[in-house]
Amino acid sequence: MSSASIEDKLANNKYDIDKEVHVSIREDICKKCDEHYCLYACPADCFKLTEDHITFSYEGCLECGSCKIVCDKDAIDWTLPRAGFGICYQYG
Amino acid sequence: MKQRFDAIVVGAGPAGCTCGYSLAKAGLETLIVERGKFAGAKNMWGGAFYGPTLFQLFPRFWEEAPIERYIHRHRFSLLTQDSSLSAEFTTKKFGEPPYNGFSVLRAKFDHWFASKAEQAGAIIATGLQAEDLLWDRNTVAGIKAGGDELPASVVIACDGVNSDLTDKAGLRGKLLPRDIKQGVKEVIQIPRHLLEQRFNLSGEEGIAWEFIGSFTRGIPGGAFIYTNKESLSVGIVAQLSALCEKKIGANDLLENFKQHPSVAALLAGGNLVEYSAHLIPTSGKAMIPTLYSDGFLVAGDAASFVLATGLTLEGANFAIASGTAAAEAVIRAKQKRDFSRKSLSCYPELLKQSFVLKDLKTFKKASLFLENSRIYSQYPELACDLANKIFTNDGKPKKKIWKLLKNSMKDRVAFSEILRDLIQIKRAL
Amino acid sequence: MDIIVCVKKIPDPEIPPAKFKLDMESKRVIPPEGIPPVINPYDEQAVELALRLKDKYGGKITVLTIDNDADTSIVKHALAMGADEGIVLADKAFEGSDSFSTSHILSQAIQKVGNFDLVLCGRQAADWDEGLVGAIIAENLSLPLVTLAEAVDVVDGKLKVKRVTLDGYQIFAVPTPAVATVSNEVGQPRLPSGWGIISASRKQIPIWKAGDLDADPSQIGAKAVRRRLVKLFIPVREKKCEIIEGETTAEASVKLAERLRKAGVI
Repeated sequence: MSSASIEDKLANNKYDIDKEVHVSIREDICKKCDEHYCLYACPADCFKLTEDHITFSYEGCLECGSCKIVCDKDAIDWTLPRAGFGICYQYG
Repeated sequence: MKQRFDAIVVGAGPAGCTCGYSLAKAGLETLIVERGKFAGAKNMWGGAFYGPTLFQLFPRFWEEAPIERYIHRHRFSLLTQDSSLSAEFTTKKFGEPPYNGFSVLRAKFDHWFASKAEQAGAIIATGLQAEDLLWDRNTVAGIKAGGDELPASVVIACDGVNSDLTDKAGLRGKLLPRDIKQGVKEVIQIPRHLLEQRFNLSGEEGIAWEFIGSFTRGIPGGAFIYTNKESLSVGIVAQLSALCEKKIGANDLLENFKQHPSVAALLAGGNLVEYSAHLIPTSGKAMIPTLYSDGFLVAGDAASFVLATGLTLEGANFAIASGTAAAEAVIRAKQKRDFSRKSLSCYPELLKQSFVLKDLKTFKKASLFLENSRIYSQYPELACDLANKIFTNDGKPKKKIWKLLKNSMKDRVAFSEILRDLIQIKRAL
Repeated sequence: MDIIVCVKKIPDPEIPPAKFKLDMESKRVIPPEGIPPVINPYDEQAVELALRLKDKYGGKITVLTIDNDADTSIVKHALAMGADEGIVLADKAFEGSDSFSTSHILSQAIQKVGNFDLVLCGRQAADWDEGLVGAIIAENLSLPLVTLAEAVDVVDGKLKVKRVTLDGYQIFAVPTPAVATVSNEVGQPRLPSGWGIISASRKQIPIWKAGDLDADPSQIGAKAVRRRLVKLFIPVREKKCEIIEGETTAEASVKLAERLRKAGVI
């Protein structure tokens, strides 16, 4: 099996993507952060560092909660997607 | 139509389904609320389940529950970059009912479990999110869900490691990365005959295989492969704080693991069908929240009932046992018509009577010991190096094993460190 | 205003396409195991439109579906959203029906339900995307039809139906009872409420069989099918990249044109 990128892996998952965003970041805080723990904590690669700022996309979120726990600056506004939306595991 | 429930259980995982099942069976008006489209839609685990608690609830459950295979063999391997050293255990008993363990996929299993609770008389409301708690002064009086107020005498939070309700009830502090392991898993489809050939299985036999070694780069954690009917559950578990400190993602560790020569051969030709992730509270007794308050109980992962002993992480049995204990506490409270904190205080007592709090107490030092990075890098290397020296025939005169061991230890680990770790093992495990 | 909404159960359209398999022999699409089917999203929007009318004018919403396994899940979903009654039409005799026989079964059921001002269907089902059933029901019942409805209102005792067009909309005045097929411009359907889900889960859903419907046996099931699916297959998609070079831009362009012609693209 060849090694696949996280994005390729997520393409196998079933999601019901909501129009409402359930996790958001406070870019003003992220800008001043040096650690960027979120980059390594997120198993779905939802956080990206481009030049000096962090961007976040919620679509591939696996709802694990890692980002909220590792962010020691409280820059992540973390909630679950609305009922019935988000990741829907076929195997689990 | 609108009514007051005796009990609202939030979350239809093993803890919630057990609790809801037991409550409904005892005749309580029970509602189980699940945010996924169906029970199991949001849930994942490694995939090996050891069933004594479920066996007590449903004797011969393996005949009706959607299990993949029974665990017939346990194997444990230490990996270095290019070597592996394995130990295997099997016994005839593992292959006979009531079996010792099973490989199970959650999406199907939880669905089945919820249907048992439904048959017992509980209402399963899927696609419904518990948004908040309802309060009557300092007493929990139900939940807010789907924009409605749903009143109940007691709420049992079985909403998993990220338990929003336990936080809202003010019963636990912030989770710390050091107390959490992240599990990342792939389900890899492999044609049945190929899978059985590779793992030397026949019929419904399965293998549970755990690994530790260099692939985690010293990060506390390990990897696993469990055989399903026509797929493998392949995953990694790694301490969240160490991932951040070492600036590496769990998926990279998983790829490391999958590329190990002896692992890659097992996965060859497989087809990835799902990639999932989940957190595991692994600091045991130290991180258990306050377990109850007026009109409110916490069970399962929400209460951090997970046992980490090094080789395995056990959550489901604890979820089921705590779900049973919570139900029992609520049933007693219902008889007294008193759901106050005082009335529910039998809950921790019931947990102590079962193995839940006993085991967590026994292993309360394990999580600290398991942070020892020597377990994940030096010792696997030491063992593989020694095995290499023993098994390699290079035509030179043979040395005694003791001498080889001393040689292997050089630059890796000192005797004093081993001694210290052995004492810690005695204390912790 | 009393409304009947016809809904269909389909494989979840959010399932990644690669997970579907085809059975070439029986010409059937096999969805992956483990992901439950859902209400056709266009039909869900029809339920939403019906609920908006109910919110404004009151009345009763009845949901109909044909499901030979007598699965009540999508009807319960509509009830959880706020519909009042649901009926599942289930009979072995319905198996293998096409759009014509499906419409016949639904038309008979609609007549049996009786009092109604409006029948709503989704514009099409997201599995086969034919979009025939609403129109055939209107024909069967000799009722006026508006397709691609985005909004419905009542003005002077008549329905005022806003119909989506490519670059705007049309407004039709229609006498009741009428049939409309609902378009996705309706917007996101509401999420079921807490009590909605609870009361739907408790509700007994009546199952009507062929005998309950006074359906014409020659009009239903596989034997009534008027069309035959000849072949079902997953087309092989190939991507190739070729770089055409030339000394000058003009030369490269000519070569490109020749290559495209050879490939049959132009």
